[in-house]
Amino acid sequence: MRTPPPIAERLPRWSVRDADWRDAITGDLREEFADLVRRRGAAAADRWYWRHAVVLTARFAIGRVVPAAAPRRPLAFADDPSALGLGAGWSRELGHAWRAVSRRRGLSAVIVISVALALAANATIFNLADALYLRPFRMPDVDRLVIISASPEGDSPFFDPNAVAPADFRDWMREATTVEGLAAGQWWDPNLSGRHADETPEQLAGFRVSPTFLGLLGAHTVLGRGFTSADEVHGQHRVVLIGHGLWQRRFGADPGVVGRTIRVDGETQEVIGVMPPGFSVPYGAEIWAPLGYSDDEWAERRRAWLLVVGRLKDAHTLAAAQAEFDALVAQQAAAFPDTNARRRARVVTFSRGMGDPAAGPFLAIWQAAAVLLLLIACANVANLLLARGRERQQELAVRLALGASRGRLVAQMLLEGIWLAVLSVGAALPLAWLGVTLTRDFLPASIIRFVPGYQFIQVDAAALALLAGLAAVAAVLFSLVPALHASRAAVVESLKQSGRTLTPFHGRHWLGSALAAAQVALAVALVVAASLTLRAVDGAINGELGFDKRNMIVATLTLPDGSYESADKRRQFVDTVLERLRALPAVRSVGAASTLPYTGFTAKRPFHPEGVLLQPGEVRFEQFVRVTPEYLATMGVPLVDGRPLGAEDRSDTRPVALVSQSLADRYWPGDRAVGRRFRLDSDGPWIEVVGVVGDLAQDWFLDRRAPTIYRPIAQDPSWSLAITARTVSDPAQVAGPLRRAVAAADPDQPTERVMTMDEVIGEKVAGLSYLSRALAIMSGIALVLSLMGVYSLIAYLAARRTQEMGVRVALGATRWQVIGLNLRQATAITVVGLGVGTALAVGLGRLMATALFGLVSLDAARIAATVLALGVVALAAAYVPARRAAGLSPTDALRTP
Amino acid sequence: MKTPYLGEFEYAVLLAVLHIGADAYAVPVRGLLQDRTGRPVARGALYTALERLEAKGCLRSRMGDPTDERGGKPRRYFTVTALGLRAIRQTHAALRRLARGLETILEHP
Repeated sequence: MRTPPPIAERLPRWSVRDADWRDAITGDLREEFADLVRRRGAAAADRWYWRHAVVLTARFAIGRVVPAAAPRRPLAFADDPSALGLGAGWSRELGHAWRAVSRRRGLSAVIVISVALALAANATIFNLADALYLRPFRMPDVDRLVIISASPEGDSPFFDPNAVAPADFRDWMREATTVEGLAAGQWWDPNLSGRHADETPEQLAGFRVSPTFLGLLGAHTVLGRGFTSADEVHGQHRVVLIGHGLWQRRFGADPGVVGRTIRVDGETQEVIGVMPPGFSVPYGAEIWAPLGYSDDEWAERRRAWLLVVGRLKDAHTLAAAQAEFDALVAQQAAAFPDTNARRRARVVTFSRGMGDPAAGPFLAIWQAAAVLLLLIACANVANLLLARGRERQQELAVRLALGASRGRLVAQMLLEGIWLAVLSVGAALPLAWLGVTLTRDFLPASIIRFVPGYQFIQVDAAALALLAGLAAVAAVLFSLVPALHASRAAVVESLKQSGRTLTPFHGRHWLGSALAAAQVALAVALVVAASLTLRAVDGAINGELGFDKRNMIVATLTLPDGSYESADKRRQFVDTVLERLRALPAVRSVGAASTLPYTGFTAKRPFHPEGVLLQPGEVRFEQFVRVTPEYLATMGVPLVDGRPLGAEDRSDTRPVALVSQSLADRYWPGDRAVGRRFRLDSDGPWIEVVGVVGDLAQDWFLDRRAPTIYRPIAQDPSWSLAITARTVSDPAQVAGPLRRAVAAADPDQPTERVMTMDEVIGEKVAGLSYLSRALAIMSGIALVLSLMGVYSLIAYLAARRTQEMGVRVALGATRWQVIGLNLRQATAITVVGLGVGTALAVGLGRLMATALFGLVSLDAARIAATVLALGVVALAAAYVPARRAAGLSPTDALRTP
Repeated sequence: MKTPYLGEFEYAVLLAVLHIGADAYAVPVRGLLQDRTGRPVARGALYTALERLEAKGCLRSRMGDPTDERGGKPRRYFTVTALGLRAIRQTHAALRRLARGLETILEHP
C-alpha cells in the first residue's frame, strides 16, 4: 500500500504534543490519503498530503506557543479566559505586540521595507561569497587538496596556478613527503570536428591530465573507464574522457559512445568514458585527455605550464607543505640556475588556487557594504521606534504606575521588534531570491567558465540561516535601545509631561541625534565607496586605451597543433582569412594578432637587450605579441618612430620587431630605440627594432603601460589568433562574414568568439562594473534611509516643540528665526555625521585601494564633492519639517495639545 | 453544570456528530458538514472545535482500535454528552424563537 511522504507525516509530531490527538490526526490524514491515491493517483495524493500536513502543523504550532497547561489540552487557544495558564500570557503578549505593530501601518511598512532590503542585500551577497569564494568546490575532502606552483614571477599579485615545468614536477613526485598523490594537468582547448558535413566544428574547454588527476579530485566515470598509467605512455595516449554535458549535447546521451572514435584537433581519438553530471573541473572542462608527453617533453624545465594538484599527507599542514616546497624549489634553483633561478614555490588550498583571485576582495567589500546598509537600516528603525517610544511614554508610565514590571515592558517592545523582524524576513525572502537570480543571470557568459562555484549561486540553506540570524540580531538591535530607553521613564515626570508643560525633555535627544548622525556617517561612507568604484569603471571603459575601440570587431580562435604543425600552414591560414575579409566593402582595414588587449590572455618572453649582460635572475619578462603588418594601424596605435612592419618582413628576411614606447623608455632611456637589437632567449637570434609605437592598455587595471614587443606574425606564426577588422559602420554586421571567412579557410576550424571591441572591454570590466552597480544601488538605498532618519527626527522634534514655537512667534520671533531654531540641531547632526563619515570613507577608500590592487584610487576632490552634496541633501531633508513647523500660526500652535 | 453557549460552527459540528452516531470521528464528520452545508470545512478548524467541545463537556471521546489502513493509528470517536444535547436544544430553540414569524421569508426564497 502506498504510504504518505514520511517527512510530511512526521510534521504533526512536532506541533501536536498530545499523543492521542496526534495519532487520531495522522490516522485521519492517512485514511484520506489512501482514498485519494485510489481516486487521483499517487502524485496528486502526495501533493495533497504535503499541503495539509503543513497547514495543520502551522495551525497547531501556534497552539504550541502555549506550553500546554493541561495534558489533555494540546490544541488550546487562549480565547477562553479560564484556560489562561502560565504560558498563555505569552500568547497574549504576542497578540498585543502584533496589534501594536499592525495598528501603525505606515510606520511598520517603512520599517519592514527598509530592513527587508538590507537583509536581502546581505543574504544575496553572502550567498555569492559562499558560492564563489568560501566554498566554490564542494567535492569530498576538498580542504586537504592543495595546488603547488613555482611561478617565475612570484611577485605578481595574482597567483598563477598553471606554472610548473614538467621536469620540476617529476622531481617533486619523487621527493615530496608532505603531499601525496601529486597529479598534473595542462590547458587544452581542442577543436572537435563534426561527425558529418552538417555538424559544425566546436571548440571545447578541456584539460590534459596525468592518470590520477581526476581520481584525486574525487571524480569517477559514470560510463566506461578512467585513465590508467597505460594511457599516459607517449604514442598510446589517443583516448579521451568526455563531460556529461558534452555527451548529451553532441552524442545524444548515447551509452554506446564508449569505444567510439571522434576527431579532436584533426586526430582520431577513442572515447573511453563519460564523467558525472556537473563535473567540469578545472576551468569548465568538458573533455579530458592524458598528458602523453614524450621523454623530451618531460625533460622541459625552461617553460612552465602545468597545473599541479596534491593532497596533504597525514596530519601535515599547508605551512609544512609550503616549507618543504620552498626547500625543493631552492634546490632546483641551485641545480639548474639557467632555468629555475627566479622560481618561487607557492602552496595554496585548491579552492584558493582555482578560485578567482579577485573574487575575495571584491566580495569582502561588497559584504562590508551590505553590513553597513543593515546597520543604517537598524539605526533608522531604532530612531523611528525611539520617537514612537517617546509618544508612548505616557502609556508606559501608566502601566508602570499600575504595577507592570519593567521587564515586562521591555519584553513587549522586544516582541514588537520580533514581529517586525519576522515580517521583514518574509519580505526579504522573495527579494533575496530575486537578488540571487539576477546576480546569477547577469554574470556574462564568457566569465562563467572562470567562476568556479557558479552552479552554487542559489538561495540555499546557508543563506536562509544567515537571513534568520541577521534578522534576530536586527530585532534586538533596533528594539532593545528604545525599549530600555522607554522603560527607564520616570513615572512621575512622564505623567507630569502630559500636562501643558512647555519644556521639552532635556538631555533625552542625544540618543536619537547620535543614531541620525551615525546613519549620515555610514551613508557618506557607502556613497563615497560607490562613487570611487564607478569612477574606476568609467576609467577602464572610457579612459585612455591607446587604441581606438570604436567600429572594431574581433574573432578569436586557436589552431590545433596537430594539423597546423608547420609554420607555413599557419601563415597561409592567416593570409587566406585576411584576404577574404579585405574584400568586404564594410571593412576598412584588417589585421591579426596572437593576443588582444583586454582579454586577459598575454604571453611574456625574457628580454635580453644587446650589450647588457644579465644574470639569469635579472632577466625581465616582457609582453610579447605577434602581429600582421596592418594590425597596429587597424587598432589605431600610432607609430612614434621608425617604420611600421611590412610585407617585406618575411620568414626568410632579417628578424625585426616593433617595441612600445614604454619598452624603449625602460631599456634605452633618452636614446633612440630604432636600430637597437635584442634577443628573446639567451642564445636566440638577434632581433632588430625597426620602429617604436604608442603604448596601449593591455589591461587598464594592471598594465596600463606594459612594455611590449611586436613581432611580425610572418616570422613567428602563432597558434592562437585574434582577427580584427575595423568596419565602416556597425561592426556587429560583419560578424557573419567574419565567421564565414574563417570557415572558408578551414571548415574544421571553429571560431571561438566573435565580438566587438566594446564587448571585449565590457567583459573585462564586467566584475568591477558589477560591483560598482551593486554598490551604487546599495548606497542609494542607504542614502534614502538616512535622509528618512534625519527628516523624521527633525519632524518629531519640531512637533514636540510646537507650543514653544507658538510662544516665540507670539513674542515676536521671525519665521526665519524659528526655522533656524529647528535647523540648528539638524546642522549639528549633519556636521557630525559628515565628519565621521568622511573619516570612514577615507578609511574605506584606502582599504579598497589596497584590496583591489590599486584599481580604485582615492580622489580627494571627488570625496569632498560627494560629502558636500550629501550635506546639502541632508539639510534639505531637515528644512522641510522645520519650515512646516514655522509656518503654523501662533494661535494654532498654542492650541495644539 | 451551566449549559455552555454554542457558536454556529460548534452547533453544526454537534449536529453532525449526532447524525453519524456511534461511528463519528473527524473524517465522516467533516464529510457530512461539507455535504449538508455546501461549504468547505478546514481540518484544523474542525479539530480545534472538537477539542474545544470536549473541553466544554459537550462531547466525549474514546480511542478506537488501530487499523492498517490508518498506518496503525486508532480513530478518535466522539459522542454527544447529555450536556452537549442540552446545549444543542437550547441553541436550536433560541434560533427557532428568533425565526418565529419570519416563515414567509425563510421558507420561500
